[in-house]
Amino acid sequence: MHDQPLPVQRPTLEATLFSLQGLFYRYPDETLALSDIHLDIAPGDRIALVGQNGSGKTTLIKLLCGLLQPTAGQVRYKNQVIEGEYLEHSRLKIGLLFQDPDDQLFGHTLLEDAAFGPRCQGLPQPEAEAAAQAALQHVGLAAMRAALAGLLAMKPEVLLLDEPTANLDPHQEQVFLDLLIGFSGTLICISHDLIFLYELCDRAVVLNQGRIGHDYTLRELVSQRQALREHGLDFSFRLVAAPAHDEPARPSIAKPEAVTATNAGPTASPVVDLRRYTYRYPDGTLALRDASVSVRAGERIAFVGENGAGKTTLLSCMLGLHQGQGEFLFDGRPVTRRRRKALWRQVGMVFQDSADQLFCPSVEEEIAFGLHQMGLSPTEIRQRVDRTLSLVRLEGFEDRVPLHLSGGERKRLALACVLAMEPKLLILDEPTAGLDPRGEELLLTILRQLNVTLLIVSHDMFFVGELTRRTLVMHKGSIIEDVPTHAFLQDERLGNLNGLAYAYRRRSGEAIHALQHEHEHDHRHRHLHAHPHPHGDITHEHLHEHEHRHPHRFMHSHPGEESGHDHLPRRYHDHDHPDHDEDHDHSH
Amino acid sequence: MPDSGSISLPLWHLPVLVLMPVAVLIALAIGLRRFAHRRSAPGEERDWSVPPLTDERGTSPLHRWDVRCKIVIILVYSFMIVSLERLVPALAAVGVSLLILVIAKASSVKVLSRLLAIAGFVGMFFLVMPLTAPVHAGDTVVVFGGLEWMAFNLRGLQLAGTIGAKAVAVTLLMEPLLSTAPLPVTLHGLSRLGAPEVVGQMVLLSYRYLHVFRHEARRMSSGMQVRGFRKRTNLQTLRAVANFLGMLFVRSFERTERVFDAMRARGYRGRFPEPEVRPLEAKDIVLSAVWLVAGAALVAYDRITW
Amino acid sequence: MHISDGVLPLSVTIGGYVASGALVAWSARRTHHEELPKLAVMTAAFFVASLIHVPFGPTSVHLIIPGLTGALLGPSAFLSIGLGLLLQSLLFQFGGLTALGANALMMGLPALACGWIFQKFKGRTIMHQAVTGGITGALGTALAAVILAALLASGGEDFIGVAKIALLAHVPVFIIEGFVSAFTIGFLARVKPELLQPPYLHPQKVTHA
Repeated sequence: MHDQPLPVQRPTLEATLFSLQGLFYRYPDETLALSDIHLDIAPGDRIALVGQNGSGKTTLIKLLCGLLQPTAGQVRYKNQVIEGEYLEHSRLKIGLLFQDPDDQLFGHTLLEDAAFGPRCQGLPQPEAEAAAQAALQHVGLAAMRAALAGLLAMKPEVLLLDEPTANLDPHQEQVFLDLLIGFSGTLICISHDLIFLYELCDRAVVLNQGRIGHDYTLRELVSQRQALREHGLDFSFRLVAAPAHDEPARPSIAKPEAVTATNAGPTASPVVDLRRYTYRYPDGTLALRDASVSVRAGERIAFVGENGAGKTTLLSCMLGLHQGQGEFLFDGRPVTRRRRKALWRQVGMVFQDSADQLFCPSVEEEIAFGLHQMGLSPTEIRQRVDRTLSLVRLEGFEDRVPLHLSGGERKRLALACVLAMEPKLLILDEPTAGLDPRGEELLLTILRQLNVTLLIVSHDMFFVGELTRRTLVMHKGSIIEDVPTHAFLQDERLGNLNGLAYAYRRRSGEAIHALQHEHEHDHRHRHLHAHPHPHGDITHEHLHEHEHRHPHRFMHSHPGEESGHDHLPRRYHDHDHPDHDEDHDHSH
Repeated sequence: MPDSGSISLPLWHLPVLVLMPVAVLIALAIGLRRFAHRRSAPGEERDWSVPPLTDERGTSPLHRWDVRCKIVIILVYSFMIVSLERLVPALAAVGVSLLILVIAKASSVKVLSRLLAIAGFVGMFFLVMPLTAPVHAGDTVVVFGGLEWMAFNLRGLQLAGTIGAKAVAVTLLMEPLLSTAPLPVTLHGLSRLGAPEVVGQMVLLSYRYLHVFRHEARRMSSGMQVRGFRKRTNLQTLRAVANFLGMLFVRSFERTERVFDAMRARGYRGRFPEPEVRPLEAKDIVLSAVWLVAGAALVAYDRITW
Repeated sequence: MHISDGVLPLSVTIGGYVASGALVAWSARRTHHEELPKLAVMTAAFFVASLIHVPFGPTSVHLIIPGLTGALLGPSAFLSIGLGLLLQSLLFQFGGLTALGANALMMGLPALACGWIFQKFKGRTIMHQAVTGGITGALGTALAAVILAALLASGGEDFIGVAKIALLAHVPVFIIEGFVSAFTIGFLARVKPELLQPPYLHPQKVTHA
C-alpha cells in the first residue's frame, strides 16, 4: 500500500510479552470489530496505537487485558493464553487507564482508591495503603494523575492507556508525559495526538477498520504523510504554520475580520464590556478576580491559561449563566438581572463536551430546539436547520440520532445548534478536545469561514494561532496579559508564565516537520566526475562517466502546501560512491 | 353569627393566631432553605467530582466511640424515640438530641439543612391534623368566628406536635451518627454487624457517582439554558425534561460499563477487599449502656405517668 | 414524598423493615452477583433523576419515577430503590431512618409491579413502548401514593385526613410522571433500545465469561 515499509525488529518467541494470533472480535450485535490481528509485543515496547475513530483500538486494548474475550484466536501473555485463573492473575500486572478519570477513581477517598488495586493483589491493608501513599506522592493528586497512581501502586508490568491526555492542559500533559516516560515497563497508548506519542513511543501500530494497517516505527509513521492521510491521522496541517515560520496574520482569517471591522466602524461600542468583574463560587472560593475585558464586534479572541484559571467561569458570566459583581455591559447597555436571563438570544456557546449539549433524539429536533425557544415560525426554522446543516457539512443528517454520531460530527452538530440561533457572540470551549485530526481540520475550515465575534478557550496553540488575533492569558482568576496572538505565540516567557508549557509541543512539531520533509529516494544518477582509482599498481585520477542507482536522503520544502511529494530527483548532490575504488577497465 | 363550641374566638383572631404564624414559619423555612442551599450546594463549576485524599477525623467522644456500637445504639434509640406517644417526653428527647449535637460538635449548617428537608412533610401534619382529627370526649375545639367547618381540634395540634418533636429528635441524631466517622468506616461497621460487605460498598459507589452525575446533570441543564430552555407548565417542558432524563440514563449506563471495566481491570473479582477490624473496648460498652438507659428512661416516663 | 421519623406506629416501621429486607434479599439474588457494583452506579443516576423538579403552576413537583426504575431495572429495581432511599435518608434526610423500610416498600413495590407490566406489554414499536411506559409511569406513582396513604392511615383514625390529603396531592404528580415516563421511554427506544431489554444488566454475559 505504501512504499518503503522498513521491517521492525520482531521480538523473538521467548522474549514476547503479548502474542496475538489470528484474533477476531465481534460485538454482541454481530458487527466485526477486529479481524485477523497478528501482533507480538516485546517487554519494554512503547507502542502508539493509532487509527481513526471506530477502527477498533479500544477493543484491542480491552482484549489485551482480558476485559473482552476474543471471538476467535488467542491472546497470549507470557506464552500463556489469557483466560480463567491465569487471566485474573495476569490482570494484576496489567494497568488500564481510561480517558475520563471519573471512570477510574471509584474510591471514596484517593488513598482508598489507590489502595484498591494492591488490596485486590492480596496485600494486607497497611501495606496496600503504604503502596498507595507512595504512588500518590510520586504522581500527584490531580485527577488524571491520581488515577494513574491507582495503577502504579499495583506495580504493573504493562500500562494500557486510552487517550490519557484528552482533558489535560499543556502543563498537566507535560507532567503526565514525564511520568510515563519514567515508567519502565511496557506501554501501549491510544491517542490522536501524534506529537504526544512522538515523545513517548517508539513503535506505531496503525489500525484500519479492525485490521492492522501498519506496524513500524513511530518515526516512519509521522514521516509518511500519505499513510497518515489514508488513516485519517494527518495532523500535518498543524505543522505548516509551525512557530518557526509563523507570520503575524494569515490572509485567510484577516479577510472576514477586515469586513466586519469596516461594517461596525471604529467607534462602535464593544459587544461585551466587563469591568472589574468578580465571581465567587457559592462556597466563597474566588473564581474570577477583577477581570476587565472589552470585546469589539468582529474580534476573534483566545483565552488561554491553566485548568482552573477561570476561563470557563468568565465565559459563563458573559453567557448569563453566572452573576458576579462588577460592571457588565452588553452592546453598550448594562446587563440587568432581566437582560441576563435573555442573553442566550445573543450569545452562543459550544461546550467542551458535546454530550452536555445534545439531548434530542434526532439531529433536526436538536437544532430546532433553540429556534423553538426563540419563537420562530416553522418555515423559518426549517430554513435555518437546512442552512446550518450545510454550513457544518452535515447535510442529510436530519433524522440521525445525535448520540450515535462520531465525536467530530457531534461537535459540528453542537456548533450548528448554536449557529442556527445566529448569535452575536460565539464562544467555543476547547473545541478540539477529543477530536481526531480529520475532525479538527474540518472544524478549522468551518470556523475560518464564519463571520462572527468569536471567543475561544483553548490549550491548542495551533487553533489559537489560526483563528485569533488577540490572546488573553488568565491565571488564578485574573487576566494577566492581553497581547496580539502572534506575540503570545512567539513569547516563551508568556507561555511558561502560568505553567503553559507549550515548549515540548513546539520542539516535537519541528522535529516531525523535519522528518516529513526528509525522504529516502532511490533513482538513477548519471555523473561525470574525477576521482582517483587504481589501475593495476598505478593510481591516477581522471573524469569518468557513471550511471548507478542508490537510495539516499535529502531535505526539501513544499512551496505550495498541497503539492504532494512527487518532485523531480535532484541530480547533483553529495553522496558516497562505494564502488569507486574498484578496479575497472577503460581506455585512456 | 352565633357562637358555638367549647372555646370560641372572634374571627379576627384567625389571622393573628393561625395564618400569620403559619405564613411566618413558611417564609422562614424558605429563607433558611435558600441560605443553607447556598452554603452547602456544590458550586456551579467547582470540581467536586475528584474525591478528597483522605477523610478528616474529629476528636469528640462520639468520634472515638466504636462505630458498631454507635450504629446499633443510635438505631435502637431512634426506635425508642419513635415509640413515644406523648408530647412532653418527645420534647425531652429533642433536648437529649440537642445535647448530643453539642458534644459531637456537628456542623450547624448541615443540621439545619436536614431539619429543612423534613419541614415540608412535618409541616403538613401541623396544617392538616388540627382540622381533620376526629373530635373525642374531652377534646378541646377552637372555633373562630363561628366557622364550624373549620374547627381546630387542639388534640390534633398536640398530636402533630408530638410527631414533629419525634421527627426532629431523630433527625438531630443523624449528623452526629454520620459526621463523627468517615462514611466507609460507618458502612464497614454495618457489615461487621452482619450486613453483607457488598451493601456498604454499593452505598459508597452510589455516593461517589452521585456527585459525578449531579455534576453532569448540572452541565446538561446549563446546556439547555443556553439554548433558551426555561421550565414552564406545558407539554414541551415535559418532553424536554424527558429527553434530559433519557440522556442522563444513557450517559450513566455507559459510564457504568466503563467503571465496571476499570474495576475489573484492577483486579475486582466480585468481592471487595475488606478493611481490618479493631476490637471493642470497655468505654465503648459503657457509653452504649448509658445511652440505652437514657432511652429506656424516656420510654418509661412516656408510659408510666399518665 | 418520603415518610419521616415519628409518623408511623412502631409496629409498622418494624414490619416495613422486615418486609423490605426480605424483598431486598430476593432482589439481590435476582441480580448477578458480580454486577452489584453496576447497580450501585446506576442507583446514583436514578437518585439524580429523582432530584429533578418540574414546575406545576406556581409550585413545582419533583419526580419519583418508580415506574421508570422498574421498567429499566426489572427485579433489581427493589435493591436499587432501597439503596437509593438509604442514601437519601443518610445524606439529605429525605425519609427518616426508622421509616426506611416503609419508604422502600412504598417505592419498591410499585417499581416491581411496573417493571413486570412494562416488560409484559411493551410491544415492538417505539410508539407502543412509549405508551406502555407512560401508563406504567403514571401507575407507579399512583400505586406509591396509595401505599403512602395506607401506611399513614395505619396510625389510626386521627391520620385518615392526612392520608386523604397526601393521596390528593399526588394526582398532579402522577399525570406529570405519566407524560415524562412516556417521553423518556420513547427517547430510549429510539436512542438506546437495549436499555429497555430485560437482561440489560449483563448484555455481554456470553463474551465476559
